[in-house]
Amino acid sequence: MKSINLKENQFIQFHQKISFKFDGVKYFGYKGDTIASALLRNNINLVGRSFKYHRPRGIYTCGIEEPNALVQIISEYSEPNTRATIKKIYEGMEIESQNRWPSLENDFGSINNLFSPIFTAGFYYKTFMGPHKKFWKNLYEPLIRRAAGLGKPPKDFKGISNHIHHNVDVTIIGGGLNGLLAAKSFINSNYDVLLIDFEEQLGGIINNSNKISLIDNTEPKNWLKETIQEIEDSKNIKILKNTLVTTYNYINHLIAIEDRFVGSKPIEGKVNSTLHKIRTGHTILCNGHIERFLSFQNNDLPGIMLSSSFEKYMCRYGLAPSKEPVIFSNNSNSNSLVYSLIKAGLKPKAYIDSRSGEEIEPNLFDLIRKNDVPLYTNSQIKGAFGNKKIEKILVEDSSGALNEIKCDCLCLSGGINPDVHLFTQSKGLLDWDEKDLTYKPSKPFQPTITLGSASGQFNFDNLNSDINEKLKTFKVKKLDVKLELNTNTKYNIEKLWEVSPQKKSLWAKSFIDLQNDVTTKDIRQAITEGFDRIEHLKRYTTNSMGTDQGKISSINALGIVSDLLDKKVNEVGTTIYRPPYAPLSFSAIAGRNCYEFYDPERKSPIHSWHLKNGAIFEDVGQWKRPWYFQINKDESMHDAVQRESKNVRENAGILDGSTLGKIEIKGEDALEFMNLIYTNSFTKMKQGSARYALMLGEDGMVKDDGIICKISDQHFIATTTTGGAATVLGCMEEYAQTEWPNLKVFMNSITEQYATFNISGPNTREIMKKAFPNINFSNEEFPFMTFQFHEFNGVPIRILRASFTGELGYEIYIPSNSALKIWDNIQSLGKEFGLAPYGTEAMHLLRAEKGYIIVGQDTDGSITPIDLGLSWMIGKSKKDFLGKRSLTRSDTIREDRKQLVGIIPSNKADKLEEGQHIILDKEIKSPIPMLGHITSCYYSSTLGHDFALAVIKNGHSMIGTKAYASTSSMSTTGVDIVKPVFYDEDNKRLVS
Amino acid sequence: MLIINCPYCGPRDQSEFSNGGEAHVKRPDGSKEIGDREWGEYVFIRANPKGLFYERWVHTHGCRKWFNCVRDTSTDEILVTYKLDEKKPNLNNFKSVVKTPSGEPEVGSGNFTVEK
Ligand SMILES: [Zn+2]
Repeated sequence: MKSINLKENQFIQFHQKISFKFDGVKYFGYKGDTIASALLRNNINLVGRSFKYHRPRGIYTCGIEEPNALVQIISEYSEPNTRATIKKIYEGMEIESQNRWPSLENDFGSINNLFSPIFTAGFYYKTFMGPHKKFWKNLYEPLIRRAAGLGKPPKDFKGISNHIHHNVDVTIIGGGLNGLLAAKSFINSNYDVLLIDFEEQLGGIINNSNKISLIDNTEPKNWLKETIQEIEDSKNIKILKNTLVTTYNYINHLIAIEDRFVGSKPIEGKVNSTLHKIRTGHTILCNGHIERFLSFQNNDLPGIMLSSSFEKYMCRYGLAPSKEPVIFSNNSNSNSLVYSLIKAGLKPKAYIDSRSGEEIEPNLFDLIRKNDVPLYTNSQIKGAFGNKKIEKILVEDSSGALNEIKCDCLCLSGGINPDVHLFTQSKGLLDWDEKDLTYKPSKPFQPTITLGSASGQFNFDNLNSDINEKLKTFKVKKLDVKLELNTNTKYNIEKLWEVSPQKKSLWAKSFIDLQNDVTTKDIRQAITEGFDRIEHLKRYTTNSMGTDQGKISSINALGIVSDLLDKKVNEVGTTIYRPPYAPLSFSAIAGRNCYEFYDPERKSPIHSWHLKNGAIFEDVGQWKRPWYFQINKDESMHDAVQRESKNVRENAGILDGSTLGKIEIKGEDALEFMNLIYTNSFTKMKQGSARYALMLGEDGMVKDDGIICKISDQHFIATTTTGGAATVLGCMEEYAQTEWPNLKVFMNSITEQYATFNISGPNTREIMKKAFPNINFSNEEFPFMTFQFHEFNGVPIRILRASFTGELGYEIYIPSNSALKIWDNIQSLGKEFGLAPYGTEAMHLLRAEKGYIIVGQDTDGSITPIDLGLSWMIGKSKKDFLGKRSLTRSDTIREDRKQLVGIIPSNKADKLEEGQHIILDKEIKSPIPMLGHITSCYYSSTLGHDFALAVIKNGHSMIGTKAYASTSSMSTTGVDIVKPVFYDEDNKRLVS
Repeated sequence: MLIINCPYCGPRDQSEFSNGGEAHVKRPDGSKEIGDREWGEYVFIRANPKGLFYERWVHTHGCRKWFNCVRDTSTDEILVTYKLDEKKPNLNNFKSVVKTPSGEPEVGSGNFTVEK
């Protein structure tokens, strides 16, 4: 295909040269060129290989509907599947063709074209489901994996996207003739209006074709300039250019993506796209129409292009892709291409129309005759032929004779469709127009208005009255625009979906979906096999399932199917158009919610100290908690955890427990409320005392646990698990509002307001005395499970005597801002008593030695307090609390429920693992009844062996018996089932 | 994305709210004897109609208040929101305003693009 440059225009200036690389070779284009227009200027039309058969493919269109010309932008993190027909070039841009190896010209994968008779409709399904499993694994899968597909995933992607929210009265989508006229009506009105266009320049059809000759007696270009200026000057209208509306959700919620670097290389660290989230009162769709192609043998050859696209290259890019294209059409839409070519001093090599001479517009007839263009009426193209590019076509003329025409370019028009994608996304209904042979919007579901060709008005006669009528509700200015056309015709089309092939061969292909390599034969085969429902057919053949969603071909497929089934197209229906209209990157969707902003990190007030003292962190929910502290780089986790836990048992340890959830509950009826929320009874509890408490779901299963401090009957402070804080507060609020609104009670999270230090170990009392010399820590003055308020250096603190390690322990609650200072002080005071920090892993080990559960580790939402052996925590005299009634359901009183037990290896040297199944037989012979599994498992240097907690069926009555733990290597380890307490069973150390 | 009209704060984006399932499900009175069936239905059984549905929502990232609404589960449209202590509206009031996208069948998907 030999292209020529035409006249300069406002979009392309020939003195602004730009160099870029395609497959490693340097070329020149002009500022304003897309990759496609620049490649065509350099007479390159082979730009990719097809998805399945690796057939050579060229540039088929001049816009977003492009099925073929998808390229990889190496200079932008290797972004794949970029439409060459949209993406603008810039200096130094590097582009690669896709889906070919070793090169575009000599592609090994094109051997698939030889195998093509096996890759027919349903190939994947049949191969997956069929009896030839070996074929799949050894032949097909490796072949397909290597050969199929589009571009390669991007590398080191660093794109940044912002999200912007809009709240407007009216959104006009599409800034073509109708969009501009609609916007013009709203100038200086009281409506907030957004005008969105996908292109850099507003104007649509005025820029892309020579259809219109005069608007209000002025040159269309001048009218355009004035109108845009008026709209820009209007304070109530905002214009978003380079912005594509991809999604039309419920309640007039639109999503649009704006490219911030059109025609220049994205700068690293700068926002390269903006996702607009638009809430609008009304949506006015002026997004125009899309031309469709026609199916005939080899309709995918490079050099074949839609006729309106050819015209767009001429008008927008000052470029005729070929000096003498052949035109093949079944409708009047390609008239203006003939006009444009002749106006530019070129002419079609031939004009072929499936319509009869009487149907062809007189203007066109005159134009063609005056310029001696060979005319074939009542004729069809039987096939296109050539090696990697179109070289000749075969035309069957009205007499049935075959004519061979040599050509380097073929322009096709199969008719036009309103771009109904967004309209159907909005749930509007379509109706088939028998005259115009296309689906048109009929019933909107939301406040949606369609104008111009988007509404199926392919002529301009009713332009003013249509807009005035549809915008009546807004009471805006009435339009009276005078339009004169160059090709004064009414839209006329004759039914033609597919030309019957001239040669019937297994290898002859007439495509219906270029991107997914679906042929019309595949459609036939699918219907023969019974896939006659359009949604089934789509999935079976993969028709219109590519990234272009069959924009130029899906209606043709419906036409073919309706003919085959002998049904009306309306009965066949269409498949659902799903968002997005065109692919948008994950980075655009993620916006700023990525990397460090993906999920907030919560840090305790002591975090800086942990960083300086060798803490290795663990994520607990959003919190960063010290897992263990490394005293030197060589210390292993196992060694650190054993050292830390041993030190707690022998001296004293300190844990940063600030992440524990803390909820303050106040109010006249706080006591009654707490009695209803937790299983325990708080009525007889003394002021200043604390209690370990359980919270259940209404199903009776343990949901959370914590320590409740009773300050008075009207004031409690509850702790929750680190991960459960928000849920517990949410649950309290829910019940306070929905079930017991009569109770006067208020609750608030104070988790972040207070830091918590858990100090425990035999030396703790000495450390506390030294740190807080004014407080009496004796057993008599400060017994186990009591708390006291004090002031320390002007800081109000609360000390609770409680322990999660089984040792003598205190929890200190300090306002977060003062916490680090007091922590530092305790560290230095505690040195002489062997005080050392410990992390969550040592904490887990220590609590497990005592048999204290962790909700969510030893329980899983199917465990009741009775299963845990914690029946003593249930306030039996209470009439009601969350989940109470469920504890007497037939299922919860079953004796063979899974219950918490301890496990130790019968041979103390044996190892255990979390998740191991407990079984009764030494030999594993499936099926084998599984009693339950190990929920927590540790090595204890205090005990000198492994030990575990487990939930097993009927566990409580199995204590004292033997069983086996299965290993991953299908062997077993003999274990003893014991009480879930391994250390200081009578709590002597706790109350010492 | 829905707009939900919080009875306390006014219309806000759906992302500020959490759904709380069927509304007007009465928790059995704990001070009285509760049968297995009655309790089981309260804990486990909820309606799941296609069409008008009384539903609970909470303004999680806002005032944290619970409230009720009537939602059409086939269109996702929230027709009215009301405070917990307000009387539940009669569904017949909404029968005439209910719009369905496309000749909705009684059950199943209404995902058609052409009128059936
Ligand atoms: Zn609110």
